[in-house]
Amino acid sequence: MPVIKINNLTKDFGDLTAVDKVTLSIDKGQLFGLLGPNGSGKTTMIKMLTGQIKPTNGTAEILDIDVLNNPIKVRTKVGIIPEQETPPSFLTAEEYLEFVGSIRKISNIKKLSEQWFKLLDFEDQKNALCKDLSRGTRQKLMVAQAFLHEPQIAFIDEPLINLDPIIQRTLKDFLLDYIKKGNTVFFSTHVLEIAEEICTQIGIIDKGKLLHNGPITELKNKKQHLEDFFLKLVKEG
Amino acid sequence: MAFEILKIMIKEEWRLHTSLFGNRMFAFFPLMIGISAFIASMFLPNIQTIMTTQQMLQSANYIFILFGVTIGSFGLTGKEILNRRFGQASLIAYSSRSLPVSERTIFLNFLIKDIIYYVILWILPITFGLVFATLFIEINTISILLVCGTLILSFLIGLSIVFFLSTIYAHSIKLLIVFLTIGLVVFLVLINFYNIGITTLLLPYSMYYNPSLSKFFLIMFLIFTPSTISLIFLKVDYPEKKRQYKNSLMDLSYKFKFSQHSYYIAKDFLDLKRSEGGLGKIIFSFLFPIGLTWLFLYIFLELIPTVKAIMIFAVFLGIVSASIYNILTAFDTFNPYMFLPVKVSTIIKSKITSYLIVSIFSLLILVLATISLNQLEWFIPALFSFVTISVYSLSMTIYFAGLHPTILFYNSKIFAQYICTVSPILFVFTIVSILDPFIMLASPVLLIPASFVLKKSYKKWDKWKPLSI
Repeated sequence: MPVIKINNLTKDFGDLTAVDKVTLSIDKGQLFGLLGPNGSGKTTMIKMLTGQIKPTNGTAEILDIDVLNNPIKVRTKVGIIPEQETPPSFLTAEEYLEFVGSIRKISNIKKLSEQWFKLLDFEDQKNALCKDLSRGTRQKLMVAQAFLHEPQIAFIDEPLINLDPIIQRTLKDFLLDYIKKGNTVFFSTHVLEIAEEICTQIGIIDKGKLLHNGPITELKNKKQHLEDFFLKLVKEG
Repeated sequence: MAFEILKIMIKEEWRLHTSLFGNRMFAFFPLMIGISAFIASMFLPNIQTIMTTQQMLQSANYIFILFGVTIGSFGLTGKEILNRRFGQASLIAYSSRSLPVSERTIFLNFLIKDIIYYVILWILPITFGLVFATLFIEINTISILLVCGTLILSFLIGLSIVFFLSTIYAHSIKLLIVFLTIGLVVFLVLINFYNIGITTLLLPYSMYYNPSLSKFFLIMFLIFTPSTISLIFLKVDYPEKKRQYKNSLMDLSYKFKFSQHSYYIAKDFLDLKRSEGGLGKIIFSFLFPIGLTWLFLYIFLELIPTVKAIMIFAVFLGIVSASIYNILTAFDTFNPYMFLPVKVSTIIKSKITSYLIVSIFSLLILVLATISLNQLEWFIPALFSFVTISVYSLSMTIYFAGLHPTILFYNSKIFAQYICTVSPILFVFTIVSILDPFIMLASPVLLIPASFVLKKSYKKWDKWKPLSI
């Protein structure tokens, strides 16, 4: 049963077509990786699917909610980790999670925050101002805020880029466990090893066009490396 | 090298603004200021019937000092002003991190660039507007040019002195109090014991009528010495250790539980408290100009004793008070909310509530001013006038600039629209306040269109793609 339905989705920025007539559907319980070179349209895609920017054309439904008409409702249901971590500067890490908890009306926020501080190993940073946190710690904070309300779908833009190998492993395990529970992840990356390791379905996008969409097992069955497949596809355009 | 940095910073500032609303809209901004100055100048002969030229010139010099004062608190905000203006992505403002350029060099260039921008965007257009008006009214062009020269000097004195005071504040509040006390004592001694008139102390004005080399050097001293000292002692160091705070968001938001936006308001107050300068920002951006206006009112009372000073003060206070909204929005772009289920209008509404809470300061100032001017009989009309003008101009600010007044008002079209909707009201309020203050009791009628405009603003900004800054 598809929980993400995308039909002919297009985004133009002036003369540039960032996303070009993309049609795609993702079933419940998938860990979908959108792969592509820098500037291929991955972030624009996530922003459109979460109602942060309006598409020029096409439609998208998340959990049967029309994104174009109900962006706030979509953002209530899903969790989002943006590409650039931007927690407000003058709140502490703990206050920020409580702030997000208040917006999302989460009742047991203290307990949930503690769990995330522990899981991502940054309890010692919880009283530091967000602006003083390292990039990696801010990324951890953004991961925590996205999953606080236990969303059914998580949109993650370059999820592991600033994290150390230990936390990367923790987060990969968390995501695998998360989809096992019937939730769905849509993440974008250009780090192919990560995608190959954890994704169940992959899409390859370049210059706004979706060049490939299918289960990762297709490649594994053909004993084809994702890197070779990706490079061939992108070169052929 | 230093000149190169300045050149690139000027380009960067230009591109920052033009990337947001296009070359033309930004380039027209000074033109619009010039046209406004021209139109205002056409009324000079009429104003001359109630004020002498000396009084007008004196007032203009005060206004330009005030202008310098409002933008001069660089020392206070130091790094933060760079942060806010350029963002973390800026290559120039942060080039001391990766290139062999000191923070001080960067900031000196930033200061010069800002002065150049303010002169180009405001002072030169005003000068051209005034000079052009002399073609149509009987005022000598040369004197207007000299007047503009004195106004630039007044602006730079105001800017330099506040830069100095705010730098001291950034180091120590106690030291600032000592400096202010010494300044006040010297001022009172000069006025009372040496019989030096306040106009003599207003050096650029005084030089216009009695030019002398010693006055010129004294003015240069007043401009360059405080700025140089401030640059030497400027606090722009990046903190080496992380600041830790006890969790206080929920406790604070409990205090604002009367509002459905309590946690946003609590966040606003924590932003104000914890950002560099803290409450000092309010002092220098708001209370200081108000304090100076208060001082000027005493001078106006001497010049035009018939003026109902508290009424004029209330109108001015209402406009300056609306600038608190600019401070509140300066720390909060919409970016951190874009991935949360939050509407732009929700943030605007929370800012309005924060604004209303901080406005208690303004109300207190109005009460103090009324008592001090001994004009209690006009307090109620002054209060009505203050509340109405403040809410009205705030609603217009929100309609035209949403969460980004400090940036969008440099769009000539937006600024022109704001001026066209606020200045007629300001003009009428000022005239009516002078003629019969009690008519101002009817002023809250304006709150009806203001609330209508606010409702329209919420819809407008919810539809609009937030600025990515």
